[in-house]
Amino acid sequence: MSEKSSKQVMRISWGPQHPMSGQVRILIDTDGERVLNIIPDIGFTHRGIEKILENRNIVQGVVPIERMVMVDTANIALSYVRAAEEILGIEPPKRAQYIRVIICEVCRILSHLYGFGLAAEACGGYPAVFLWSTADREPFLDLMERITGTRWSYSFFVPGGVYADFPDKIKEKFLATLEYFEERLEAYRRAWFENKIFESRAKDVGILKPEDAIRLGAAGPNLRGSGVALDVRKDEPYEVYDEIDFRVITQPEGDSYARLMVRYLEMVESVKIIRQAIENMPSGPYRKFVSPLKRLPKGEAYSRVETARGELGVHMISDGGTKPYRIKITSPTLRNLYVVSQMPKITEVLLADVPVILYSFDPWYLDADR
Amino acid sequence: MVSLNEIITSVMNFIMLNLKFFIQVLIIPGLLFILLFVTFAVWFERKYLARAMLRIGPLYAGRISGFLQPIADFLKIFTKEIIVPSDADRRLFYLAPMLLPVIQALTIILIPFAPDWVVFRGSGFSLILFFAISGLAPLFPLIAGWASNNKYTIISSLRTAYLCIAAEIPLLLSAVGVVILTGSFDLIEIVEAQSKMWFIIPGFLGAIVFFIGILAESERVPFDIPVAEQEIVFGWRTEYSGILFMLTMMAEYIGLLSWSLLFITLYLGGYQGPILFGMPLVSHMFWVLVKLAVLTAIIILFRTVFPRFRIDQAIKIGWKYLIPIAIVNIFIAIIVKTFFPSII
Repeated sequence: MSEKSSKQVMRISWGPQHPMSGQVRILIDTDGERVLNIIPDIGFTHRGIEKILENRNIVQGVVPIERMVMVDTANIALSYVRAAEEILGIEPPKRAQYIRVIICEVCRILSHLYGFGLAAEACGGYPAVFLWSTADREPFLDLMERITGTRWSYSFFVPGGVYADFPDKIKEKFLATLEYFEERLEAYRRAWFENKIFESRAKDVGILKPEDAIRLGAAGPNLRGSGVALDVRKDEPYEVYDEIDFRVITQPEGDSYARLMVRYLEMVESVKIIRQAIENMPSGPYRKFVSPLKRLPKGEAYSRVETARGELGVHMISDGGTKPYRIKITSPTLRNLYVVSQMPKITEVLLADVPVILYSFDPWYLDADR
Repeated sequence: MVSLNEIITSVMNFIMLNLKFFIQVLIIPGLLFILLFVTFAVWFERKYLARAMLRIGPLYAGRISGFLQPIADFLKIFTKEIIVPSDADRRLFYLAPMLLPVIQALTIILIPFAPDWVVFRGSGFSLILFFAISGLAPLFPLIAGWASNNKYTIISSLRTAYLCIAAEIPLLLSAVGVVILTGSFDLIEIVEAQSKMWFIIPGFLGAIVFFIGILAESERVPFDIPVAEQEIVFGWRTEYSGILFMLTMMAEYIGLLSWSLLFITLYLGGYQGPILFGMPLVSHMFWVLVKLAVLTAIIILFRTVFPRFRIDQAIKIGWKYLIPIAIVNIFIAIIVKTFFPSII
């Protein structure tokens, strides 16, 4: 404290009423432009999702848990559904698993596009990229509407499979959309990753070394942005990820640019995964019916899923009723926010770097609050 | 007793005697021109930015592409309540946004729109006078930021101060290159000296420095650091509301206008251009307006393609790159003036 008191500290409140903050308050201690401390103050959107889930049976429970991350609903729902399936001891049909992988990867693209646009916005004065990425989500949202019936927040996964079959007649359109999207990704690279001012803003800003990333518990693309190849899809394959050929994206630099680059390259990988899944999808049933009124066997299960923001775990305990007794969720944003709060101690941070670093971690505060 | 009739007659006589002066002050390059420029620039910026962002932008106010939207916004903001923070220094809080656009607009009286169409010639030192007046402008954001007594505004006003010092020295140094080429501080003589060749060709480096200096001085992207929305809400304008906010926004565009006009005068040949339809006065003004439209369109276009610099990067650009380039430009000007005096 004695070291700090010699400096003149100004505490700036960044949010919740701020043009760029989102539903969070972040207290920033500054000495002039230099940042001494970042203190995330979450909890503005706590809705008690874990408690709500105790009052829902396993089919109803998919709906509230999706509200955790609205741009990445499928991955979140998958973790819940997989935990329920483990307790029930059932395996969904192969076709359902392929449909799940397709929807999960589309959700990953949608989520990365959104986060990518926000990161562009955070560097300042470049709102066009945000609107472009929003516009490029449209074709995927239309496809999802054909498959699931809604543009987002699908509630499409159900223990034992998926609600509806994949319409084979939209395969052509799906592949055409993927081709269009690959062209757009190239445009983003030229307009955004090769922009010199963006490079100067994001490169060497907020460097997170691999050992720090592991020690502080960074999750998902942020960990891979520090060069640690950890991906639940590869390490502990769920659904049919072990039948699909893809690589885990890592970038060695560990700065904000690397984290955004990981997201960008993951979108390219996701396109490959979707293409393989569409081509290899077997025919057959898409759902094993499980009655929502069925009593769950006693026991507990933990499922890990690689969501767009990192590893999400759902721990479900059943005491033999129709509803789970307790559900505990570990969310990636909470872990990533802790890493952000340690940033000024690891590297030198200026006030203008705070939004860039924060949005390079792609936070979703509702995910942290639950 | 003086009758009302006599008063009206004498006032009319005064106006008729100084008709040219009144036209200059009230129409061009005075009040009406400035207000029209601000309105049109705001509309163009919003519309162009919307197109770049795949939106439509203003559409309804004034049938053609919503070109009356800035006026509608002005009327709306005009009716809003002015909220003064309880901890603010009331007098300075009111004063700063009122004086800022006046100071910015005052520099425009020095700009020649035609050989004999300038409000104030400044006895042959109008370039120095321009810098002297515009040097006052950065004080007002500083005062406003301090008077608002808010953390965001104080950070922003200090950023303004840093940025202006980093930008104004290169601006002055690159203007010195032009002065050496011409041998005069008079803006009309500078324009007349460009009848053969615009100074952007011999003073290319100076023009680049001056252009970047304009961006920094008028707080345009990528140098909009004092109003960085992502960090400090709206910079020194955060606490302003109603008509005071409108004045600060107007000041931004008037600053852009006055610096663009100076750039045109120094580097793009001012009012020089082919005489159209045998009307020298009209065509001189026409060329100034055409050059102004092109230059401001380029500056506004930057907003769609560039993120923002950090304050340390902006200061580094000013001191480390722009000042040496401006000094090189001075040497080039000396060489041109000494060895090839015939080409200018």
